[in-house]
Amino acid sequence: MKSYKELQNASFYDANARERAIAMVDKGTFTELLGPLDRFTSPHLPVLGTAVEFDDGTVTGVGLIGKHPVFVVSMEGKFIGGAIGEINGGKMVGTIRLAEKTAAAIKKAHPDEYAERRPMVVISFETGGVRLHEANAGLLAHAEVMDAFQDCRKKLPVIAVVGSKVGCFGGMGFVAAATDIIIMNEEGRIGLTGPEVIEQEMGKEEFDASNKALVYRTTGAKHKYIMQDCNYLVEDNCGAFHEALKEVAGLPMDKIEGMRRIGSPAAVAEQMKLVKLIGDMQPKDSMDMWKHYGNEDPAALPEMTTAEFLKVVKRRPRN
Amino acid sequence: MALQVLNFKFKTEAPKTIAKKWSHLGVTGSGDLEVLMEQKELGGAVTAKVVTPVKGFDAVWEKMLGKFVNDCHVGDVSIEINDDNATPIVVYMRLRQALAEANAKEAE
Repeated sequence: MKSYKELQNASFYDANARERAIAMVDKGTFTELLGPLDRFTSPHLPVLGTAVEFDDGTVTGVGLIGKHPVFVVSMEGKFIGGAIGEINGGKMVGTIRLAEKTAAAIKKAHPDEYAERRPMVVISFETGGVRLHEANAGLLAHAEVMDAFQDCRKKLPVIAVVGSKVGCFGGMGFVAAATDIIIMNEEGRIGLTGPEVIEQEMGKEEFDASNKALVYRTTGAKHKYIMQDCNYLVEDNCGAFHEALKEVAGLPMDKIEGMRRIGSPAAVAEQMKLVKLIGDMQPKDSMDMWKHYGNEDPAALPEMTTAEFLKVVKRRPRN
Repeated sequence: MALQVLNFKFKTEAPKTIAKKWSHLGVTGSGDLEVLMEQKELGGAVTAKVVTPVKGFDAVWEKMLGKFVNDCHVGDVSIEINDDNATPIVVYMRLRQALAEANAKEAE
């Protein structure tokens, strides 16, 4: 295991779920809940002859950022593509519910200090969505997670962190969109139907999944950042994610509410305006949209480093 | 179809238990495995439980685990493995890594 200092400088993209969970909170503060020693493996996989994992592919626990308790969910993409089943879905829901309970307890015990002690939920997504071996339980977990998000609204922030190999696809793409704030590195990708599935269903002319540049400029973080589907774009090291989370921990709740993409009549109106614009424009590539928002040379953007990109990029204005 | 569960017991000369009470390493990825080691009073022996989807390799598991216990003089440890089609050499490497992790001092 890398030391905390090494982890802060290490690539977030390469880090496993446990390393990410430890590195996103302050040094030495992470306590894992339902870790490997508890042996909470899936009851469904052995019947189907599929290998199991002691934490069912998701690390859950609690740490601190300053005085803020941080409830962490961190998915491991190497175990069945990070897919969500009954156990790891349940762990995810339980962690969010615990954060909500903690928020209520802190509000009661420290009514004057709630802002500086306000808990947060941080989810490091690395998943393709529902685990097909236990699909009904997996789908139910998606619904329960979104339900729990809704109960956290305006009380404590729920943050999506996307920057790992598998990206965030399938139903979990919806779940990430339902969070308050999304933090990504350049390698992070969010989508609903994965590129391979689109190609398989609609043909190579519709979407060429082997064209990595196309995949990244459609599902990747730079595009999401321009379109305002990503709030923070950071360098690919664990320390950069930790810094961004520190900033978010200090934001007032009404500002955080304004950073959401969905969940209010105003946000829906804004999304509908975007749908109309796309209908009118009929863009052939995400670069058409980048140009529309004032990026004169869109083809240059994918080649830039994160720092260069952040200096020059023009984003979709929000009302 | 169902998962295989294999149980083994080994004993070696001059066995030494691990420094930590328990230690975990690895991910059950394709071609990989995870190892959970725990201190346990076993009269110097090592127990190993392997959960794997692969059939018919019991003897190979016994050889690799036995070699690890003998090479590293491990004792009074319970080893649990969740495997997903790892090759013998990967198994051996992960066991050595898990042991190093189980004996590692917490770094700064």
